[in-house]
Amino acid sequence: MNRVGLRTLFLKEVRRFSKVWGQTVLSPLITNSLYFLVFGAALGSRLRDVGGVPYIEYVVPGLIMLSMIRNSFLNTSSSLFQSKVNGTVIDILVAPLGVREILLAYVSAAVLRAVIVGCLVYGVARAFTDIGAAHPLWTFTYGAGVATAFALFGIVVALWAEKYDHLAVFPNFILTPLIFLGGVFYSITMLPAPWDLVSRLNPVLYLVNGMRYGLLGASDVAPWEAAAVLVVTLGVAGALSTALLARGYNLRA
Amino acid sequence: MAAPERSPALRCEAVRKAFGRFVAVNDVSLDVAPGEIFGLLGPNGAGKTTLIHCVAGLARQTSGRISVFGHDTVSDFRQTRRMVGLVPQEINFDPFFTPLESLLIQMGLMGVEPDRDKAEALLATFSLSSHRHAYTRHLSGGMKRRLLIAKALVHDPKLLFLDEPTAGVDVELRHELWDEVERLRAQGTTIVLTTHYIEEAQHLADRIGIIHRGRLLVVDDRDELLLRHEGRSLEQIFLSHIHGADAHAAAQ
Ligand SMILES: Nc1ncnc2c1ncn2[C@@H]1O[C@H](COP(=O)(O)OP(=O)(O)O)[C@@H](O)[C@H]1O
Ligand SMILES: [Mg+2]
Repeated sequence: MNRVGLRTLFLKEVRRFSKVWGQTVLSPLITNSLYFLVFGAALGSRLRDVGGVPYIEYVVPGLIMLSMIRNSFLNTSSSLFQSKVNGTVIDILVAPLGVREILLAYVSAAVLRAVIVGCLVYGVARAFTDIGAAHPLWTFTYGAGVATAFALFGIVVALWAEKYDHLAVFPNFILTPLIFLGGVFYSITMLPAPWDLVSRLNPVLYLVNGMRYGLLGASDVAPWEAAAVLVVTLGVAGALSTALLARGYNLRA
Repeated sequence: MAAPERSPALRCEAVRKAFGRFVAVNDVSLDVAPGEIFGLLGPNGAGKTTLIHCVAGLARQTSGRISVFGHDTVSDFRQTRRMVGLVPQEINFDPFFTPLESLLIQMGLMGVEPDRDKAEALLATFSLSSHRHAYTRHLSGGMKRRLLIAKALVHDPKLLFLDEPTAGVDVELRHELWDEVERLRAQGTTIVLTTHYIEEAQHLADRIGIIHRGRLLVVDDRDELLLRHEGRSLEQIFLSHIHGADAHAAAQ
């Protein structure tokens, strides 16, 4: 294990996202404040409660999850892909770093960014609503777990991508639809049959509701279901990224 | 495992690298002795870059073995990468970091505790001190190339690869780089230099290998190579070898 290398790569990734703090911190702050203004201040009184929770509070966990997933995915995928494009990835390839160190460094930095953003969005939510935290430890662990999975997917997409367009395929065509249909803005109990059941095939539904359980204490799926889907997602993301990195897929000739 | 004493700085045994059906490096066997400067000479597309990328970890050979000071580059890659430095042919830079930051980061990645004094010393050696905090993208082409060399030296490699270090470089910088190579040799660094400039190989290398279409055609002492081909310049020797190989290939 190259500990100095691992630490250096982690700090390098942290420095990288802190240098673009406008994108990392300011952007989720503004976007989410807008959500809260629209759903809370403007529409709040016209929207009905969901299962006894004011609508504005009901959407908070999903918005947090959305920001965390985006930031963690973006951090690994854009960093690794850009270094492939500008050639600086050779700095890592010539170094005595194994798959473990590379994954650990990239993923920890991405998760750190996601957790910072998650806390910020939560802070904004507290400013606009009376939301609490029913299970703080669960919320934190679950959020970090989901961020880890999507940081790993970010690595997979960065390795697979050969041009910038490819990089956008996953967030735009897979992630965004899954997130919007994943019950961020509604409860699946509101959906007519068979859509309530079809929704249950969407893994992101479980991830959003896992966070909802943590913050609100109740959700559309049982906590054990949310935990199981996270574990499977982590397993798939971990196996894929490890296999591709070990092969040096699109990385080492 | 301790490497046997006096193992070669670099040993390639029947190294072959194929890209699909195209064979870029074909059955290359080669020893480079500690402390020498080896010139790998060949026309564009000969397979020079591909071969050294297999040693440095940017590519993996399709078959054959490569070892650095007795350590296998695949099974013992952590050991070999600590000993190898690579100055790549293509200039690359990270727009996020300054020259000073780049050197400190590279030190850490190579497993060496980042050391500001050492980074400053390298910047001074390569006349980059006044640009230590500049955006790397604002450096001139020559400065970027010098930064790449400095980056390859952060961990004091025992075996240094210079891949066409003076391609597209002005005369002044070329001579500066040659002086730098001499300085590194004096410190005991083993250097493998690829070039398609015959003058460069003749000026710097102790031994010369001529590679063409992935095959190593000859390896010899520079002086003996010239002696054996009495009266001919290295350029003539080089051309006769690659023409001979082409004629041989055409006859088959
Ligand atoms: N990643 C790759 N995929 C396919 N062909 C490659 C790749 N890298 C190099 N080649 C081919 O291998 C041959 C040798 O290239 P290279 O090692 O760069 O030559 P040199 O450095 O001697 O100019 C060239 O024909 C080149 O096109
Ligand atoms: Mg080359």
